[in-house]
Amino acid sequence: MNRRALLQWLASGAVSLPVWRADLSAVGLAQADLLSTGHVFVLRDVATTVLPSAIGAKGQAEAVDNFLRWLRDYREGVPLSHGYGEPRLVRSGPSPAPGYGNQLAALQQAATGRGGRFGALPLDTRRAILDSALTEAGVQNLPQRPDGRHVVADLMAHYFRSSAANDLCYHARIGRHTYRAIRVTTVRPTPFSGGRGL
Amino acid sequence: MPIHESDICVIGGGITAAMLVERLAELKPGLRITVVEAGRSIFDRENRGQYHRRALEYGEHPWHDDFIADQQAEGMISMTMAVGGQALHWGGACNRFSEEDLRLKSMYGLAEDWPLSWAELERYYVEAERRLNVAGDPSPYPEDRRSAPYPQPAMPLSYNLQVLKKWAEQSGLKFSPLPMSRNVSAPFGGRGQCGLYDTCGDVCPTGARYSPDYTYQQLIAAKKVTLHDRMLIRRLVVDEGRSTVAMAQGYHQDRPGEVTEYRARQFVLASGQCWSPHLLLLSASARFPNGVANRSGLVGRFMNGHKFISAQATIDEETFPGQNMTHSLISREFFRCGPGTAFVRHDTRVWESSAGKEPRLRGAGGGLLLGDEVLDDWRGRALKGSSVRLRTYYDSHPSIDSRLSLDPASKNRYGDPMPRLERRLDAAAEAREAATLAHCTAVFERMARASNGRLSGPPSVSTYWDHPAGGCRMGADPATSVVDSHGRSHDHENLFVIGAPTLPTGGCTNGTLTFVALSLRSAVKIAES
Repeated sequence: MNRRALLQWLASGAVSLPVWRADLSAVGLAQADLLSTGHVFVLRDVATTVLPSAIGAKGQAEAVDNFLRWLRDYREGVPLSHGYGEPRLVRSGPSPAPGYGNQLAALQQAATGRGGRFGALPLDTRRAILDSALTEAGVQNLPQRPDGRHVVADLMAHYFRSSAANDLCYHARIGRHTYRAIRVTTVRPTPFSGGRGL
Repeated sequence: MPIHESDICVIGGGITAAMLVERLAELKPGLRITVVEAGRSIFDRENRGQYHRRALEYGEHPWHDDFIADQQAEGMISMTMAVGGQALHWGGACNRFSEEDLRLKSMYGLAEDWPLSWAELERYYVEAERRLNVAGDPSPYPEDRRSAPYPQPAMPLSYNLQVLKKWAEQSGLKFSPLPMSRNVSAPFGGRGQCGLYDTCGDVCPTGARYSPDYTYQQLIAAKKVTLHDRMLIRRLVVDEGRSTVAMAQGYHQDRPGEVTEYRARQFVLASGQCWSPHLLLLSASARFPNGVANRSGLVGRFMNGHKFISAQATIDEETFPGQNMTHSLISREFFRCGPGTAFVRHDTRVWESSAGKEPRLRGAGGGLLLGDEVLDDWRGRALKGSSVRLRTYYDSHPSIDSRLSLDPASKNRYGDPMPRLERRLDAAAEAREAATLAHCTAVFERMARASNGRLSGPPSVSTYWDHPAGGCRMGADPATSVVDSHGRSHDHENLFVIGAPTLPTGGCTNGTLTFVALSLRSAVKIAES
């Protein structure tokens, strides 16, 4: 599905996303240079499947917004960490945005072929579509940080490797890599009050 | 041709040069000191919060343009060449060596003794700790006696490290918080207080972890030093008919065709274990065909540091990875090797870890996990016990063939051959490699067994030597060493080499504090000169 077909599909009314709609203008995205509105809709739709329900629809939307900010601020050709013990110069690659657009369009095309909007398909069907796409992209595990191989793995990595997700996992306010007074770390982290089953 | 004259010309702008200049300016106010550094100054500390964020989110290197693309060495473990050197992004570990490190030959018949006493070095450890504002606790081992307390109490242990300390000490080893150069309780030296961003080894947004760029900015502001950055010294020239160094010839990155002469009464080579011996070798001439300061033929020899053995363990205790992953525990139990036992010396380190407890995309059976399944799978592993990272840095004595040489196959823009570093153990150290691995494995297993832990796999030996040093080793005999105990060249009375290159052996724990202590001691002699 190309961009025009995707927009036609979106305009047809096939889309009825039960997700929190964040104000994209607040994110400040220059979407024409990154992902189209249609691509972002598909990304939000997929996010409801690949991000945990414990953070709620609002949290999922915020996770997508954060990922889009990451994409917007991505810089090409920048030296990556070569600190002590890493004496090799590696630069960041080209923006993953074009690849993401194609991958999102392909996901929706696969979903359409199986009956409609991605998020409305049975879970096993969604899993099969994603499994196929990730396998084709050579993705076996979550990257340490988004690496451009597949937009879904990158969205998941961006969230699940975040400090917030770490807190959610451990039911505790650890605050990894955030500013904390030292004394805060000397005691057992306080319980995390949000999230499912807490 | 530009000519700069000064009393003291320091070549290299890293941590040892920063400490040396700070001390020289105190000892002899009014000294005209010039520091010449091949890399650039990175003095934009107001941006470090942003660099920290981008390093975390994008993996970007937070020290922009801190390297020179064609000035790299094969076998070097860092590309950094900038004002501040590799201490721009060190972790801040400030362990002392022990007396045994200085007496390997006389106590064990191994390697070489250092040409200074422990009591003498200990005085300068105290001074180095004060200048670096080290936070530490006294060692629980009485042999580690100190003549003065640390300037700050130890970095408070995170909850995780408290749990791990109880776990580790069931083995009988005693652990302490790793001494760190971090402003724990208050700002110090123009640097902020620790905010536990936990990215010390990349970039510290507050400057709490010591970084030499702060010192340079203060020295420059106080007009105690003139800094020439982006100026590569390619050659030391010895006076005709005399043994003193007459000048250093530099080339600015923006003016590669123009030589700049640095003339001084004293020259101090503070370019680290790679570039110091490299410059001496590169300065060969008809009169000094083996290079400057190399009558012994030992410049670039006995390159040292230490190898290390790593392991992961799983334990039953609950921890919360991410509290303070850059801090660790250290045991000095095996700094000493008792009589009648096979020689092995090492530190023992313990860190919190999330190994094996990270989120993953596929479950144990290979099936794709989505949303809640990822979180459930993650929790299923993360909330069941904890991972622990273990490491020993062990005494690895270099052979004479552990060397830095000029590599004709790799040249910079000027055609100068770049360094090639190849580290090799001496015969005795090579012979005990298997026993050392067996010993360290037994230590790890003992720690695990004592508290219901399990090693996650066999321990592994490093593929490189950490905390590298050597190449201009110090000694009393000009035939077997390059410099004396103060770093003064045996061959050229106005040439000093300071810091890491002068170490005969690399110890069995982090070396920076020792490099700084030795440099502070050199400062006194240089000022007297």
